[in-house]
Amino acid sequence: MVLKTLDVLGAQHGYGIARRIEQISGDLLAVNQGTLYPVLLKLEQEGAIASDWGASENNRRARFYRLTKEGRKQLQVETQDWEQTAAIIGRFFEVKAEDLP
Amino acid sequence: MRSLRRFFTRLLNLVTGQSPDARLTEEIEGHIALQTEENLRAGLSPAEARRQAMLKFGGVEGVKEEYRGERGLPFVETLLQDMRYAMRTLRKNPGFTAIAVFTLALGIGASTAIFSVVDAVLLRALPYPKPEKLLRLWEKAPDGRLMNLADPNLDDFVTENDTFTDLAGYEHWLSSVSGGSEPVRVNIASVSRGFFKALGVEPFRGRAFAADELQVHGAPAAIVSHSYWQRSLGGADGLSNIHLKMEGAVYSVVGVMPEGFDYPPGVAVWIPRELYPELPSRTAHNWRGLGRMRDGVTVAQARANLSAIARRIKEEYGKEVDLNDAAVVPLADAMVGDVRAALLTLLGAVGLLLLVACANVAGLLVARTSARRKELAVRVALGAGRGRLIQQFLAESFSLSVAGGVLGVVIAIAAVKALPAILPANLPRQEGMTVNTSVLMFAFAAIVAVAVSLGLFAAWRAITGDLQEAMIAGSRSYTGAGTSTRLRGFLVIGEIAATLVILVGAGLLGRSFLQLISTNPGFIGNNLITMEFSLPTPQWQQGMQDPDVARQIHLVEDTLARLRAIPGVERVGVAGALPVAAGDNLADGNFLILNGTKAPADLSEFSRMAQNPAQVGRAYYCVAGEEYFRTTGIPLIRGRVFGDQDDWNSPNVAVISETLARQRWPNQDAIGQVIEFGNMDGNLKPVTVVGIVGDVRANGLDLPPSPIIYVDFRQRGMKANSSPTIVMRSAAPEGQIVSASRGIFHEMAPDVPVKFSTFRDEMSGWLANRRFLLLVVGFFAAAALALAAVGVYGVVAFSVARRTQEIGVRMALGAQRSNVLGLVLGEGARLALLGVAIGIAVSFAITRLISSCWVWYWVKARGLHFSAWP
Repeated sequence: MVLKTLDVLGAQHGYGIARRIEQISGDLLAVNQGTLYPVLLKLEQEGAIASDWGASENNRRARFYRLTKEGRKQLQVETQDWEQTAAIIGRFFEVKAEDLP
Repeated sequence: MRSLRRFFTRLLNLVTGQSPDARLTEEIEGHIALQTEENLRAGLSPAEARRQAMLKFGGVEGVKEEYRGERGLPFVETLLQDMRYAMRTLRKNPGFTAIAVFTLALGIGASTAIFSVVDAVLLRALPYPKPEKLLRLWEKAPDGRLMNLADPNLDDFVTENDTFTDLAGYEHWLSSVSGGSEPVRVNIASVSRGFFKALGVEPFRGRAFAADELQVHGAPAAIVSHSYWQRSLGGADGLSNIHLKMEGAVYSVVGVMPEGFDYPPGVAVWIPRELYPELPSRTAHNWRGLGRMRDGVTVAQARANLSAIARRIKEEYGKEVDLNDAAVVPLADAMVGDVRAALLTLLGAVGLLLLVACANVAGLLVARTSARRKELAVRVALGAGRGRLIQQFLAESFSLSVAGGVLGVVIAIAAVKALPAILPANLPRQEGMTVNTSVLMFAFAAIVAVAVSLGLFAAWRAITGDLQEAMIAGSRSYTGAGTSTRLRGFLVIGEIAATLVILVGAGLLGRSFLQLISTNPGFIGNNLITMEFSLPTPQWQQGMQDPDVARQIHLVEDTLARLRAIPGVERVGVAGALPVAAGDNLADGNFLILNGTKAPADLSEFSRMAQNPAQVGRAYYCVAGEEYFRTTGIPLIRGRVFGDQDDWNSPNVAVISETLARQRWPNQDAIGQVIEFGNMDGNLKPVTVVGIVGDVRANGLDLPPSPIIYVDFRQRGMKANSSPTIVMRSAAPEGQIVSASRGIFHEMAPDVPVKFSTFRDEMSGWLANRRFLLLVVGFFAAAALALAAVGVYGVVAFSVARRTQEIGVRMALGAQRSNVLGLVLGEGARLALLGVAIGIAVSFAITRLISSCWVWYWVKARGLHFSAWP
């Protein structure tokens, strides 16, 4: 989700990412926003994202995260994986008893 | 891949130790500020807006915690924390820490130092290509004795074998070499064709011997060692102008061997054996054999091959030869054969020492663990798992043994620097002794082994048993004599037993050493100045002419006369070799008893006559000057010693030692016997026995007196002995006499190198070989004893400390001082007695084992005429 958000919005700070996830999920996923930061750190250490200081909308110093090349690749792989998984699960839900031989 | 990258980043973070908190705090603040603004826009009051923002964010501390965990490596961090904690506890108990670290340092340092010797001498491969292919070869007599090779036999081995690529003979001896910066006495070796090829080493400068240097009367050529080239030839680039004078001939230097090439050990100059005619005798065992096996040939095949040749020789020549078999030993084994047992003994002793050290530290740890049970119980109660506790103990024992190990390696480095001073000079390959990687690996392995075993031991002690009980029990009732005291008791018993084994070893070595130095050598060694020299004439060529001999005799006589004139000098004598210290340089051989039969005309007739055992005796051959016996204090028993009437033209006379008279002529008078001993110096004039003198332990204090035939140097020259020595008795200061003598030698014979010394110094050099084991094992024994004493003290003191209350109660109930003392002493004594009993039992078993080794080793060493060690 983080990667996809960054992919869509470009460089973004932590709050922005958190808001975006909330918005997209239609406020269904209202987890503690704080838990986002350890995830960001993990991704950064894996090299999927990079971060820099920059100025936020209210002119505060904020850390902006952006997708790296490797992150883009990872996003691609995971997107594919997810689509495949979703497709399989989806098929299970579509199947009705009478369809079975 | 990704997780690896993550791991390294985390490791880097850990190492750089940057605090992540600042960045996170700022980010969190930014986050909350943005959210608060958002909430304000949504119409909340400022306070409520901030509260909602905080709520939405969740627990800041929790996030920080998680963030930190994500950032670094929690496992390593706790480990480091444990280490820090361990360091702190250790620092808080400086006494315990110092004792433990020092004990371990002693154990690890001593074993590392000894291992460096073992590594250099036994483990490291010889510095030749494919060293496992190199064999030493011997002829084997029917009684199993190993003998060097006689010329014709060596030739047969060389030409008839089909299992060696190269097979060569070599011999080396001390000689004087001039032509370099100054005349020196060095070892020179005569080597046969194929010697260098067998070893697989070529000169790094110049060339190997050429064809015209490998024939009788060919151009004399020599190859020198790297160190001789550096020291005496100044590392000269061009070799063409360098000539060496030795053995009565002038040799041109054609090559320099590479640095580190040292075979036979200590040789400075190699010359071709082929320059000189071969001896036709098949029983003159002059050549040491060396060969390189062909690829794919096993040692057994090589031996079988040579055995077949030996049997063929025996069949063909029958009584003319004394071999009937051949023997081979891998070169590496042959070089260290004598010292393997000694080194393994040392390694065993040092292993015991390390064990004692470990037991001691283990004992200390047990004591500390018992004292810390409450602390542990609290930690368990607060949720520490067993793994966590074990980790804590390992951290502690690692800190201890790493500290001990580092100190130990420092000790080992110092010891390895100091060792050459006490190492016996004849220990082979000791020059390669350094603290190198494999030695450090050994030390590292020792450290890890010690750390793991101590840590697990302490942890096991700590977490077995119900810790909760310790909590409840409190300090008062929990004195329960308990398992830990018993365990420490066992440790101490083991320690004492191990110490006793080392002590008994040291005692045995010490006793034999004392026996050695209290042995009467047969003469008076005090105030004897010795001058070992070599004459600038061929000593080993049989073809030395009479005028040469006469000139030599005159030179020695004149020198003796001038030396005698030095004020303060009482007596001056000369002999073929200094007894005890250089006794191995005396040659021994069979002589003929003539008594009426005609003397043999040549050496082949001599060997024919020598086949009649009734006519043969065996003795050492020693040339001596008139005053030799009086100078050294060898007593005259019967007859007379050499006198002025014995000169070049008068009948040759001999003086024999008491042992020989007793052995060879038990029921007759030895005086008046006529002997033929010309096989030693090529002079076939018979000698008549005119006197019997006291015995001398010429070959060493540890061997029975040797049968010796002394002949007069004025009648037979000096050539039969390789290290002629002038002995001088004087009570005057040594330095004064030596400088006066040096001047005389310099005038009389400028190119004769002389080694000035005193008999006392020569003796202590000889004893050094025997003293080394004693010194080292004695040191180990002392160290182990000290450790064991500390161990016993520790156990008793600890148990007294824990039983203070009990003792108090006992005294209150009327126990006397003596009762309490008895209680405490009894505990220590019980441990000590048990330890001693076990130690004695083990010592018996081990000394029996060792002494059987020793016997084997003595027999072997003596059979091969190696100098014995120890």
